[in-house]
Amino acid sequence: MKNTILFFGSIFLLSFAMVEKKKIKIFLAGDSTIAIKDTKAFPETGWGMPFVQFWDSTVTVVNKAKNGRSTKTFLSEGLWKSIMDEAKEGDYVIIQFGHNDESVEKKERYSTPDTFKMNLNRFIKETREKKATPILFTPVSRRKFDKDGKAVATHEQYSALVREVAKETGVLFIDLDEKSKALYQQFGPEHSKLLFLQLQPGEHPNYPEGKNDNTHFNELGARMIAQIVLKELRNLDCGLTERIIVREVKK
Amino acid sequence: MRYNRSISLVTLGIILLSFVFAEKKKKIKVWMIGDSTMASYEASRAPLAGWGMPFVYFFDSTVTVDNRARGGRSTRTFISEGRWQPIADSMQEGDYVLIQFGHNDEAKEERYKDRYTPVPDYKTNLIRFITETKNKKANPVIITPVTRMRFDKNGIQQETHKEYTAAAWEVGKEYNIPVIDLDTKSRELLQQLGPDYSKLLFMQLDSMAHPNYPAGQKDNTHFNDYGARIIAQLVLAEIKELQLELAERIVKPPVKK
Repeated sequence: MKNTILFFGSIFLLSFAMVEKKKIKIFLAGDSTIAIKDTKAFPETGWGMPFVQFWDSTVTVVNKAKNGRSTKTFLSEGLWKSIMDEAKEGDYVIIQFGHNDESVEKKERYSTPDTFKMNLNRFIKETREKKATPILFTPVSRRKFDKDGKAVATHEQYSALVREVAKETGVLFIDLDEKSKALYQQFGPEHSKLLFLQLQPGEHPNYPEGKNDNTHFNELGARMIAQIVLKELRNLDCGLTERIIVREVKK
Repeated sequence: MRYNRSISLVTLGIILLSFVFAEKKKKIKVWMIGDSTMASYEASRAPLAGWGMPFVYFFDSTVTVDNRARGGRSTRTFISEGRWQPIADSMQEGDYVLIQFGHNDEAKEERYKDRYTPVPDYKTNLIRFITETKNKKANPVIITPVTRMRFDKNGIQQETHKEYTAAAWEVGKEYNIPVIDLDTKSRELLQQLGPDYSKLLFMQLDSMAHPNYPAGQKDNTHFNDYGARIIAQLVLAEIKELQLELAERIVKPPVKK
């Protein structure tokens, strides 16, 4: 009798342990450095593309990032609203902007520092109101070296603004600008080109004239950045770590 | 009457011209047969990639790439497992068959005896692929096995498929079949990148870097997403160099304003 109780008792407890994790979504809000590319733009790759490979079946990554978007146009085009309409309690919203907000010469996307901060604050506030978790990123660095071979800052002003917002709101924060710059430094001025959309004329049919781009990633760069993001998310210990896909260690 | 005749001549001309312009290239298939370095992989094994994966994006809508390459296959096991016959049966005139074997044919170790194929048999099998392809009025292309990464202590990339690359060349010459010397081209590429940066092309991952390979990976044969694309580009360059008709079907980007 006692044994039977023990037996059923442990099954009862086990069933709790095995209860499935709630399904969640990770939304990606940002620009071309994250976005999903058309095949006709390959090998250009946004870091949101390899990022989807990292998660178990309880996670759906919803990549809403779009080429050329600033916080301002992400809002005005209704992209932000589409995230808020879909976001539920327990979801995550990764926010990475700056490349287009800071482009003074492109008036339609440019955001003043004040507007930029205001928009980021709005993203954080509205995400929290949905009982979802915002994670704020500084914009991933462009590739730029000085004459001594030192990787230099490419978003100085706008990354500083993101850091201010992070401090003021206490939001979860990843300084992707710094981390990516450190990666380029590790590769050096010459080999860091291997991470970007850099092609000789005729190498790839999509770019017959070749390409010399120090902002947009190829598949290697996108994956390296995504791997840095994953590492930093583990460090934040924000409830996502236990949803990283677990594979058997192969012999 | 005369007036009518000139009208009908003009009309006829227009009709003929419209035929010339409407003449669309016949749709063809590019069959890929080979081993793990060419094969497609599921996302659960990413970033592992065969060069056939990025290769499909190089062609226009008249080309369908059918990548039948499979990990661990030699010419012998590709045939014995019944992987070749269905291709030979469904191939159409004008199709291409890209043939890249060697990695597994050459595996002499006891544990690989299931796949090992001595050079004479390797050649016989290649000859079978090209003969049956030609019988269907399709176009065989022999590709020498893509190199493994192996640098000596002086940083010189070594030849890793000597015998089988030579054998592939011999068959190509004897049967007058285009040969893409991917072994040589890929070795040149690795030499240019050097021992450290060549690793970026292969499945080399630190532990914890990618969830699909928690213990990391140190593989000098299989490519990652990036390496696969770079190798595919080498193959494409040779397709252009050889002036295969397939080169006329390379995708053209829309003209930019």
